[in-house]
Amino acid sequence: MTTELDPLIHVPTRLKIVATLAALPDGDALSFTRLQDMLALTPGNLIIQLRKLEDAGYISSTKTRNGSARKTTVALTGQGRAALRDYTQALRDLLGGLDTGATSPDNTVDEISAGNTKPKRGPRPRPGRNHPDPADPAPPERPGLLPGPAR
Amino acid sequence: MDHIPGTARDGFDPGQAAALLDQATRRARRQFTPLSPLLFTYRAVVALVVFGGFWLSVRGQHPYTGHISGWAIAVAVVLAAINIGWTAWGIGRAGTGVSGPAQRKWQAWTGIMTAAWIIGYAVTAPLYHAGVSHPVWGLYPASAPLLMIGLAGAAVAAAFRYWPLAGTALGIAVAAAAAGFGGPAGSWLITGIGLCAVCLGIATFTAWRQRRSMVRP
Repeated sequence: MTTELDPLIHVPTRLKIVATLAALPDGDALSFTRLQDMLALTPGNLIIQLRKLEDAGYISSTKTRNGSARKTTVALTGQGRAALRDYTQALRDLLGGLDTGATSPDNTVDEISAGNTKPKRGPRPRPGRNHPDPADPAPPERPGLLPGPAR
Repeated sequence: MDHIPGTARDGFDPGQAAALLDQATRRARRQFTPLSPLLFTYRAVVALVVFGGFWLSVRGQHPYTGHISGWAIAVAVVLAAINIGWTAWGIGRAGTGVSGPAQRKWQAWTGIMTAAWIIGYAVTAPLYHAGVSHPVWGLYPASAPLLMIGLAGAAVAAAFRYWPLAGTALGIAVAAAAAGFGGPAGSWLITGIGLCAVCLGIATFTAWRQRRSMVRP
């Protein structure tokens, strides 16, 4: 039984990114601009999160140039899809198949993303060794990994 | 102190993660779906109103002439125009910023089906011009174009592995084939009811597929 929550995905913003990209058919990519619009994130925040996912091999990014216009697209890799599958299975295991309100949450996506959450009752997961990304600090800027946003 | 996976410091526990995963997935599915459940529901209403209107305007004809009244045609044109505009908007919105093989396949499907609809109904013009008999003229427009479009759409959708659309197209073909047995006037009504049922079916299926949970089995 998988009970480890992937700390790389178990951060609200990155979970939303991975879930959004996973809704596309395998092999399709999404422009940085569309992703940013869908998630209502600032370009800087999105780049930071995408870099982490790209470092782990969960997403791939491609930069194309058409005349003066630059376009950056991102796609979930096979490894990223597998990681999301494992993460989802771990959630199921942790929640123990009980009705936890996962499909009718007390908090909306935006509230959770913004940190405006309230504690929920329900089965507490077992103590484990898998720590989430502590406070999810932003890494220093590194050039060359994910191209900057282009519209 | 023991650390609980996925909880504690950032207040993001597994229950919230499951809720976020489900909601983000549903939101993404909705935004990437070109033909929404609401659009299919609208099409169901359009089918019933348009074909029902045609039926109302021809059902009292003795002898049968196949002449459809101007108001029914006007309503059909307006509702069809709204449908075309809504569909184009939905496809454009869903495909914005999306690239890749699946997106190209969808564009090919859209092109093929647009051509099928145009060709399917365009062939009624030569028949009308040739002065076919009224019973033929009564039956043909109500069932034959939809039969051809449905069968072609089912074949192409199956080739593309769009199984829900293949089922929908096959349902349209079945409704059109059944309409052929309804007589010149009744064929319009049977087509309308059949198309309405098919559209409501795919609307329900699409809504279910968009809403199904990632976490809950």
